Amino acid sequence: MQQRSLSRRHFLQISAAVAGTAALAACAPAAPGASTEGAAPAAGKTELRVAHAWDASFWPRQEEFDQQFNEKFPELNVIGENTPWGEFRNKYMTQAAAGALPDIMYCQFAWAQQFIQQGSLINLQAYVDNQADFNLEDFTKPSLVSYKKDGDLHIIPYDEGPLLLYWNVDMFDAAGVPHPTPDWTMDNLLEAAIALTKGEGQDKVFGFDGLPGPDGSMNANYLYPWGAKFWNEPEENECHLDTPEAIAALEWWVAFRHEHGVTPTPAEWGTLGGGWNGFAAQKVAMFQQGTWYTPVLVKDATFKWDLWHWPKGPVAQTTSSMGSGYGTTKDSKSPDAAWTYINDYLSTDGQIFMWASTGRGSPSRISAWDAYFESPNAPPSARVVLEALNTYAVHDVLDTVNGPEITQVAAQTWDLVLLGEMPVAEAVKKITEDLQPVLAKNNPA
Amino acid sequence: MQATLPTRRQGIGKMALREERAFWLFISPWLIGFLAFTGGPILASLGISFTEYSILSPPRFLGLENYRQLVEDDLFYKSVINTVYFVGVGVPLGLLLAFMMAIALNQKLRGQTWFRTIFYLPSVVSGIAVALLWGWLLNSDYGLINYMLSLVGIQGPQWLFSTTWVMPALILMSLWGVGGSMVVFLAGLQGIPEHLYEAAEIDGAGQWAKFWNVTIPMMSPVIFFNLVVTIIGAFQIFDQVYIMTNGRGGPANASLVYVLYLYRNGFEYFKMGYASALASVLFLIILGITIFQFAVARRWVYYEGGEPK
Repeated sequence: MQQRSLSRRHFLQISAAVAGTAALAACAPAAPGASTEGAAPAAGKTELRVAHAWDASFWPRQEEFDQQFNEKFPELNVIGENTPWGEFRNKYMTQAAAGALPDIMYCQFAWAQQFIQQGSLINLQAYVDNQADFNLEDFTKPSLVSYKKDGDLHIIPYDEGPLLLYWNVDMFDAAGVPHPTPDWTMDNLLEAAIALTKGEGQDKVFGFDGLPGPDGSMNANYLYPWGAKFWNEPEENECHLDTPEAIAALEWWVAFRHEHGVTPTPAEWGTLGGGWNGFAAQKVAMFQQGTWYTPVLVKDATFKWDLWHWPKGPVAQTTSSMGSGYGTTKDSKSPDAAWTYINDYLSTDGQIFMWASTGRGSPSRISAWDAYFESPNAPPSARVVLEALNTYAVHDVLDTVNGPEITQVAAQTWDLVLLGEMPVAEAVKKITEDLQPVLAKNNPA
Repeated sequence: MQATLPTRRQGIGKMALREERAFWLFISPWLIGFLAFTGGPILASLGISFTEYSILSPPRFLGLENYRQLVEDDLFYKSVINTVYFVGVGVPLGLLLAFMMAIALNQKLRGQTWFRTIFYLPSVVSGIAVALLWGWLLNSDYGLINYMLSLVGIQGPQWLFSTTWVMPALILMSLWGVGGSMVVFLAGLQGIPEHLYEAAEIDGAGQWAKFWNVTIPMMSPVIFFNLVVTIIGAFQIFDQVYIMTNGRGGPANASLVYVLYLYRNGFEYFKMGYASALASVLFLIILGITIFQFAVARRWVYYEGGEPK
């Protein structure tokens, strides 16, 4: 009997066939209801996969909500999946490519349009219009800006908050610096920062951390107060950094570091681990952030702190407001059931349970704010947040599809300004030139 | 009458056939894995490089447009220059250090095994852990390196936050992982027959002459292997730079290495077509350099049994 040997060619053919089958299987959409949480499918129930991006400490609250929802709607079975915020976008972009998105997913303002424009999130306007008790008027105006296509809502926001000033009350008192007032100006901010800065080297305490960078907050927090702007809204297709007003404003800000030494250098910032950590470690007396940071401080801070208005500039008082929301994906097999979840989750009661009562703050529904003010986890001056949102906060925050590229391209030159290696006037000229082709992509076709 | 010659198959005995089957069986997990998870994506990436593809919408064929844009892209050249700097300085320094350490650890010393373990250990530590560790070592305020420099009266630079020093900092960090090359060198050194040194001694060779005329020629295949492998790895540096510069390749793109730029285009701007074109060009660069190395190797690599098959 002739021995049959496996030839190299034959073996490679078999290998390729096995590999090809595996690859095709991997490319196939996930089975409906597949869950990363490993929950068993509930018989006869419609399953909903919901993708969140919570920090681990907030996840139990989410699980509690979902449990209550499943009890309230026994025909539905919600399976939540949580992904660290930094990994969320890439993970769900990949799932979108594979046609395996969950039914409902979290979306931040900065990349909402990426998902909306390319059809990954369905139009929710009909659901909004047909839901008698939804009341779109209850949503703060800035909260709805980033989530529309052709005027129709594709994402329902859950929060929208202004960037405000966190300040260390103990440090102010110890240094004899007067507390911020409703009339505080940018000059008051600088004076306080100078008075609060003390020590040298490793023992140095900085008065303020939060110099401008070419990101979403540059317009409203650093340039509008001087009557200047980085980009035009809502088109985001022109750079205005090389105007005299913008140069004057940026030079004023950069002097915090290079002239007054009241804010960390990039190396010192790296050591502190950023404004949040520096503030929590009492190495920074003031910094700028939204309300979503307050639960961390409530839990961990060993000092007295509060939130206050972003100061008035020579021309105007403005600050950026930003937020996130949830949408139903194109891959959802049960968009009606998905709407049931979104409607309940982002109702007044849902927002009170998730964001207002927990002190996380900035709920998108006006009706949920009172519960936030009463929350033991909210900062003492919590009402300032809503005042800012209702009066001078604007949602002018780089939310077009190429926002990340605009920031990166400008940052390569702005870095040199922060390092003291390039004057502002020279840098803004270069940034304006560099950004032309990137911003041009936002021109109407 | 026609003579019948035995075919190759007929010439294989039962034992040899069993061995051949076992060979294919054992190699199959790797081969299937390669075809499914590496070969397929490589081909897909090549195809995507001719398209505009943002992941969320179907690819749109562009022909050679991505490659044309690449030629006009300043950051492409910047990333190539940064990477060539890293490879050009880091690889020779790393190989030299690894070779010197291997020679030192090839001596008959007390605690030799302990030293070998200690020097090899860093090369098996995860790249992310190494990056985090070196982030602290290079910290300009609290870092051990600047502290040691201060002991001899030198004020250390701001390393990762300096456009001048960020690349030297990354090269310094890469030297920490030379243990892998060192082990290969050590194995090579231990494979040099003792009689060659004895013959050289009889001919009156001193330490230097023995090193130059025996050690180096006998080690040349090992040096060549390490050179090829290290250059390929160095061109693909990514994770440490990503971690140490917060994913930015800063300051001012001073540490924007090639794969980081590729990642930025693919996973921050979602220009998958352009990122794939970058990947294809990197493949060609590495392929070209490797072919060049093999071509030049004939002039300086000595194989005891003749040319390698």
